[in-house]
Amino acid sequence: MNDTSQQLVDALDARAERRNSRRDFFRNALGAAAVAGMGMSALGWSSSAAAADVTDADVLNFALNLEYLEAQFYAYATTGAGLPQSMLGGQGTQGQVTPGHAVPFSDPAVRSYAMEIAGDELAHVNFLRTALGSAAIAMPALDLGYGPNSAFSVAARAAGLIGANQAFDPYANDENFLLGAFIFEDVGVTAYHGGATLLTNKTYLEAAAGILAVEAYHAAIVRTTLYAKGMDTASLLTAADAISNARDSLDGASDDDQGISPVSVNGGTASNIVPLDSNGLAYERTSQQVHNIAYLTPDAASKGGFFPNGTNNPNSALTVSGDSSTY
Amino acid sequence: MTNDDTMIAMLERQAARRRDRRSFFRVAGSAAVAAGGLSLLTACNGNDGTTPVPAPSPTPTPTATPASTDQKILNFALNLEYLEASFYAYAVYGEGLSSGNMMGTGTQGTVTGGRQVNFTDPLVAQYAREIAQDEVEHVNFLRAALGSAAVAIPSIDISASGAFTAAARAAGVVDANTTFDPYASDENFLLGAYIFEDVGVTAYKGAAPLITNATYLDAAAGILAAEAYHAGLVRTVLYRKGIDASALITAANKISDARDSLDGASDDDQGLTIMANGQTMANIVPTDSNGIAFSRTVEQVHNIAYLTANAASKGGFFPNGTNNPDPAFTMSGDSSTY
Repeated sequence: MNDTSQQLVDALDARAERRNSRRDFFRNALGAAAVAGMGMSALGWSSSAAAADVTDADVLNFALNLEYLEAQFYAYATTGAGLPQSMLGGQGTQGQVTPGHAVPFSDPAVRSYAMEIAGDELAHVNFLRTALGSAAIAMPALDLGYGPNSAFSVAARAAGLIGANQAFDPYANDENFLLGAFIFEDVGVTAYHGGATLLTNKTYLEAAAGILAVEAYHAAIVRTTLYAKGMDTASLLTAADAISNARDSLDGASDDDQGISPVSVNGGTASNIVPLDSNGLAYERTSQQVHNIAYLTPDAASKGGFFPNGTNNPNSALTVSGDSSTY
Repeated sequence: MTNDDTMIAMLERQAARRRDRRSFFRVAGSAAVAAGGLSLLTACNGNDGTTPVPAPSPTPTPTATPASTDQKILNFALNLEYLEASFYAYAVYGEGLSSGNMMGTGTQGTVTGGRQVNFTDPLVAQYAREIAQDEVEHVNFLRAALGSAAVAIPSIDISASGAFTAAARAAGVVDANTTFDPYASDENFLLGAYIFEDVGVTAYKGAAPLITNATYLDAAAGILAAEAYHAGLVRTVLYRKGIDASALITAANKISDARDSLDGASDDDQGLTIMANGQTMANIVPTDSNGIAFSRTVEQVHNIAYLTANAASKGGFFPNGTNNPDPAFTMSGDSSTY
C-alpha cells in the first residue's frame, strides 16, 4: 500500500485490532445526548450515592487510599521501610502494613526509576493530606506482603503467573518489581481520570489533573521498561498482558485495560505503551471498579486484596467494589 | 547504606529535584483555595480583555453562534495536535495528515519540511508508530467533537532547517551554524519529540480547569493522560540511551532549560536528570515539590510554539500563527511579566 494518507484515514480501523469493542465516546456523550450521557457517567462513578452527595473531600480521600498503597509499596521496595508514622494518622481506623522488603536492584536505571517514583508517591500522600487537613483519612490496613497468601500472590495467581501454592515476590528482582508496579500504575491513571470530573473546586481539579499526569508518566516508565526488557525476555510481555487481562476481567465487561505486547498498526509493528480507547483517550474507572481491582474481586465487597479491612472514607459508598456483572 | 539512610537520600533527592518550586499551598491552598480559581481564570481573563469587538456588519446577516470558551480551548488544543500528528506522521510514514483531516474554519495552511525517519532501533520505530497513531486519533477526536467549529490546520514548519534548528540553536543543542535535523536519526527524532511532549501535558493541564462542559473535561483529562504517557515514554527512552551516550541527556536538559526560559520566570520544566547526594539520578517525571505536573497558560504554550519570549501572533513552528476563533487564544505573551 503506497497511499499513506489513506493509511492514516484508515487509522481507526487499524486501531480496531488493538482496541476493538471500545465504548464509543461520541455515541455516549456527544451531540444531543451530551448532557444526559455525562450525568449518567457521573452517577455511575458512585452508583450507591448520588453524584451530588460525593464531596471533593470524599474524592480526594478516595485518592489518598491509593496513594498510601503506592507510596508504601515503593518505599519498601527502595528502602526496606515504610512511610514515617507522622504521615499515617487521620480520620477512620489506622491500619498496619504487611510489609515488603527492599528490592536487590541489579539494573541501576530501574533503581533510579524506583527512587523517583517513590519520591513522587510520597509527595502525593503529603499533598493530599495537607489539602484535606483534618479531613484526611488515616492509612488503612495494607497487604504488601510477598508470601503465598499475600495480595500480590493472589493477584499473580489470578493472572496465571504462578501456581496454586506459589508466592509472587514483587521485591525479588528488577523484573518482579516492575510487574508489581505495573499492577498499580495504570489503575491510578484510570482512577484519577474517573474522579477528576467529580471535583467541583477548580484548584483541586487542576491538582488532580497534575497527579493524573504524573501517574501516567509513571505508568509509561514502567511499561516502556517492561517492553524493552521484554524484547530479550518475552515472558515479561506475557506476564504484563496477563495482569492487564486480570484487571480487565475483575472490573466488568467494559474494556478499559491493555497489555504491552506489540500490535499491528497500518501494516507495521507498533508498541502498545499507552492504553487508550479508539479516540486516543485514556480509560477511566469508577470508584467501584477501582475497588474491584484493589480488593481483587469481581463482586460487591467492602474489603479484600491489598486492603484487608477496606479503604477508609467518610463516604462509605466510596469504599466498596461493585458487582461487576452489572457493568 | 542502611534503610534509613536510603529513605533520607530519597527525601533529599526529592528536595534537590524540586528546590525553588512554587508551593501549591502558598499560591492556592488553605484559606485561599477558593481564590485559587482566580489565578487560573486570570490567564484567560487577560485574554478575554483583549477579545476584539466584532466589527459592525453593514447588513443584518445571520449571526454565527459565538464560539464558546470550551470551543476556543479545544481549538487551541487542536492546533497542538495538528503539529504533533504532522511531525509523527511524517517521521513514520513520510506523509502528513489526509486532506480531509485538515479543513476547517480560519485559513488552512501548509505543512513544510517533514520527512520519514530511517529508524535503526526497531523499538524506537515501534514507539513512533504508536505515538503517530495516537496523535492522529487526537486530531480526529477533537475535530469530531468540535464539528463545524473545528479550525483548519494552520501553517506548520516542521522542517529541519526551520523551527527545529531554531529551537535547537536557542537551546544550545547545536551551534549557530549547524542544522538540527529531527529526522536524521533515532536520537534526533527522540529529541524532536521531546521538544513537544511535555509541553502538551502542561497545555492540557493548564486548560483543564477552564473547561466548563464535564464531558469535554473528561475527554481532555483522557488526552492529558495520553500525552503524559507519551512524554514518559520519550523521556524513559532518552534516559536509557543517555546512560551510554550522555550527550543525549545533556541535549534534553538544554531543551528543557530553553523551554523554561521562553515561558517566563516560573519554573515549569525539568530535564532528565538531577544531582542528589553526589549522584546523578533519573528525573523522568517533571513535577513540582508536591509531585504534581506543571501547568502552562495559553500564552506560555505559544511562547514555546512560537519560539519567542515576547508577545507575538506567529513564529517558530507556526509561521502564520495558530488558528482560533478568538485571537487571544493565538498569542504568546510578554514573558517578562510572568
